[in-house]
Amino acid sequence: MTGTPSHPTSTELPADTKGPHSRRLGLVAVIVTFGGLLFGYDTGVVNGALDPLTDDLGLTAFTEGIVVSNLVFGAAFGAMIGGVLSDRHGRRHNILLLSLVFMIGTLGCVLSPSWQVLALFRFVLGLAVGGASATVPVYLAEIAPVERRGSIVTRNEVMIVTGQFAAFVINAFIFNLWGETDGIWRLMLLVAILPAIGLFLGMLRLPESPRWLVSQGRDEEALAVLSQVRTPERAQAEMAEVHRLAEEERIAKTAGRVDLGVRWVRLLILIGAGLGICQQFTGINSVMYYGTQLLGDAGFSGNSAIIANTLNGAFSVIGIAVGVSVINKLKRRTMLLGGFALTTTFHLLVGLSAMLLPEGGAKAWFILVFVVLFVFSMQATIGPLVWLILSEMFPLKIRSLAIGISIFVLWMANALVALGFPPVVKALGISNTFLAFAAFGVLAIAFIATCVPETKGRSLEELEDDFRARYS
Amino acid sequence: MTVITAVAEGREGDHALAAGIAEARLLGTDLVLVNLRLSSLDRSGVPGDPETTVVERSGPGDRDPVDAVLDEIGARPGVDRLVIGLRRRSPVGKALLGSVSQRLLLESPVPVVAVKPPA
Repeated sequence: MTGTPSHPTSTELPADTKGPHSRRLGLVAVIVTFGGLLFGYDTGVVNGALDPLTDDLGLTAFTEGIVVSNLVFGAAFGAMIGGVLSDRHGRRHNILLLSLVFMIGTLGCVLSPSWQVLALFRFVLGLAVGGASATVPVYLAEIAPVERRGSIVTRNEVMIVTGQFAAFVINAFIFNLWGETDGIWRLMLLVAILPAIGLFLGMLRLPESPRWLVSQGRDEEALAVLSQVRTPERAQAEMAEVHRLAEEERIAKTAGRVDLGVRWVRLLILIGAGLGICQQFTGINSVMYYGTQLLGDAGFSGNSAIIANTLNGAFSVIGIAVGVSVINKLKRRTMLLGGFALTTTFHLLVGLSAMLLPEGGAKAWFILVFVVLFVFSMQATIGPLVWLILSEMFPLKIRSLAIGISIFVLWMANALVALGFPPVVKALGISNTFLAFAAFGVLAIAFIATCVPETKGRSLEELEDDFRARYS
Repeated sequence: MTVITAVAEGREGDHALAAGIAEARLLGTDLVLVNLRLSSLDRSGVPGDPETTVVERSGPGDRDPVDAVLDEIGARPGVDRLVIGLRRRSPVGKALLGSVSQRLLLESPVPVVAVKPPA
C-alpha cells in the first residue's frame, strides 16, 4: 500500500491508444493486483477462521492476539526488506519471490500442529504481505502510462479490500456448510494458495519494470518492455520521462541517519509516523481481523455472526470506492478531520449501544449497523487519505527515508492494536474498548488540527519553506 | 585553486557560508559550496564574487554528508581549504548520530577552517 505520488508530465507524449499493447497492460494490472488480493485475503482470513481455530488449538485471548498480530509484525519487516530487495534485484524478481513466500506461509499455517507453529508461519506470511505492500503498487505505477497511473494504482487498493471481503464471504460459506468438521479453519486458510499460484505463474510471463531497468542503466531492455505495453511512437517518446522519474527516485533516496539530527526533518517524520498511528488506532483492523468474534460478543449466533461480518467487508469495498472518487475534490485536512469526526461518533455509538441496550437481537443489530458505518467512514476517508498525504508531505530528498519510517510505524501500530484487542475486550468489554477508540479519535483530531499540513495543491517547495520556518 | 565550504543546516551552516566567502576572497580563489541541507540552498546570501559553484547532495551515494564532502575534495585537484561550521552537540546526539564536523576535521586531506557562530 505504499503510496506513489503522481507526477505531472513534463513533456508532451503521444496519446496512449488502444491495441494489443493496451490489452497486454490490462493483463499486467490484473496479474499483479493478485498481490493486493493476497494481501487482503491473508489479513482477512483469520476473521471467521479464528473461532474454530481457537477451539481446535486451545487459544486464550492473549495467544489469539499473538497468532493474529504476528502476521502484521511480519508485514512491518517485510515492507522494509521488500523495498530493499526490489531496488536491488528488481520488481519482477521480488514479486516472484513473494508469491513463493505466500505459498510457503500458507502451507505452513494450514499444516500447523500447534499455535506456536501457526504463529511462526503467520509471521512468514506477514513478510510476504509487507513485501507485496511495498512492491506491487510501485511496479504498477512504474509500468502504467502517466495518464492512467492513478486509476491503476487505486485498483490495487480496491483489490486489497476485495481480498478481505472475499475471505469473509468464503469463510462464511465454508463455515455454514461444514462448520461442524474438525479443523475447518485449515480449509479456510488453504484457499489463499490459489491466488498465490496465480500470481507466480502470471508473473513468470510479465516483464520487469521499465523504470527499474533504466535505474540499472539497462535502457535497451527498458525500451523493449515499454514497446510491449505502449504504441511504438509512445514507447520511444516515453523513455525521457522514464529517465526523469528514475532520477527523481534516486534523489528521493538521499537522506540517511545523519539527517535525523536536523530538527525540522525529525519533526516532519514524527508527523508522518503520527498519521500512521492515528490511522491504525481507529481500530479499523480490529474489525477486519476480529469482526466475527466482535459480532458474536454483540449477540449474534456463531453462524449469523460470520455472515453479518461479510457486511464489514462489503462496506469496506464500497467505502474505498467512494473515497477514491471524492479524494481529489476536497482539501486533505478537511476530509481527514471529517473522517475522524465520523469514526469517533460511530465508536461512541457502538460503545453506548453495547453499554446501555438490553441483551438481545436489537442490541446486536444496532452494534452491527454502527460498526459497518464506522468501517465505511474509515475506508472512505482516513484509509486512503493517510497514504496519499504520506506520499505528498515529504521534501524529495528525505522522501524514501521518511516514508519508510512512517510505514514501519504504521504497521507496528496496526500490530499492537491487533495484539491488544482480544485481551482488552476480554478485560474491559466491547463498550469500554470502543469508548477507548473514541478517546484516541479525539486525540487524533487534536493532533491533525495542530500538526498535519495541507498538501493538496501546494508545491513541495512551499511545503518545505513552511516546515523550515515552523520548526528550525 | 578552490575553497570548499560545507553548508550544513542551521546557523552554523550560514556562518560557514560567510566564512567560506571571506576565505576565498582572502586567498583569491573560487568557491565550491557543498550543500549538506536537504532543501536547496538560498542563493541570496551568495554574491557573484568569488566565482561560486553549488554542489547538491543527490542520491544514495551522497547519503553520508562526510562522504559527499570528501568525494568533492577528491574530485577537484587544487583544493586549498575546507571551511566548516561547528556547533555544540549533546553527548546523546553525538552517540546516536555521530558528528559530521568531527569526522571532517579528522578525515579531510586538506587544511580545515572551522568557525563557530557567535554565542
